[in-house]
Amino acid sequence: MFIINCPYCGEREQSEFKAGGEAHIVRPKQPTELSDDEWAEYLFMRKNIKGIQFERWVHTHGCRKWFNVVRDTSNDKIKAVYKMGEKPPTK
Amino acid sequence: MLNYTNAITEEKSYSSLQMKEIKPVMKLVIRGKKREFLSAIGKSLNLLLPTEANTSSRSDKLTALWLSPDEWMIYSNEILNSESNEYETENLLNKNISKTNLGAVTDVTDQFVLINMKGDKIFDLFETGSPFNFNDFRNKKGSVTQTILAKIDVIIHNQNQNEVNLFVRRSFSQHLFSWMNDSASRL
Repeated sequence: MFIINCPYCGEREQSEFKAGGEAHIVRPKQPTELSDDEWAEYLFMRKNIKGIQFERWVHTHGCRKWFNVVRDTSNDKIKAVYKMGEKPPTK
Repeated sequence: MLNYTNAITEEKSYSSLQMKEIKPVMKLVIRGKKREFLSAIGKSLNLLLPTEANTSSRSDKLTALWLSPDEWMIYSNEILNSESNEYETENLLNKNISKTNLGAVTDVTDQFVLINMKGDKIFDLFETGSPFNFNDFRNKKGSVTQTILAKIDVIIHNQNQNEVNLFVRRSFSQHLFSWMNDSASRL
């Protein structure tokens, strides 16, 4: 259990949110030209880091908006929260 | 409202807490992003939509609740005529918002049930089943939140000191009401 600071609604409990997996995965420009392996790589393969990870979250039981979270997966500490389309923090 | 059957038929009363359904009340969800959308709403209804998160605004006839940066709920302050499904406000917004492609207007009157709660134990009840921090919320008149109560999505509007309007989806309303009664009986 931890608290997430929704960029639209403010601080809310984690149970109001849903995690949407790794953020900043770019869809290939020409999916038809990819091999099955490359497509599978894009579709299924995730880093699943122990440590600081960039993730997408959605405030399902609140404003229903998607946003990005930088979270330390080993202790659930949230380092940064930023809106969709914004540049990820570099540090 | 034609052929309306009450979702909640009882009116419950406990020491320092009363709960009942209020109907028929018009409820609309409006969505839009453009600045023209906000000004068109303001002009049509004589009501400024709240742009600050978790707040509401009120005119003589209507209340607007902030739900998300591009979504609001408008509901009528007074009980409406139960013989008709036509709402003047909805027709007006359809003409000025939907038809001009500024945004979307959805009638959610029958989708949401409005439970009116009165008394000074409202927030004690909420605290038994919600992860939301009500400490600031309860002291701020007009504040709005969407959160979970007993694992059910609700919209809570702090209308007045010790008076709260709670919106819940109709299919969940009976269950939530029975949970609230169970919880209230133990406060």
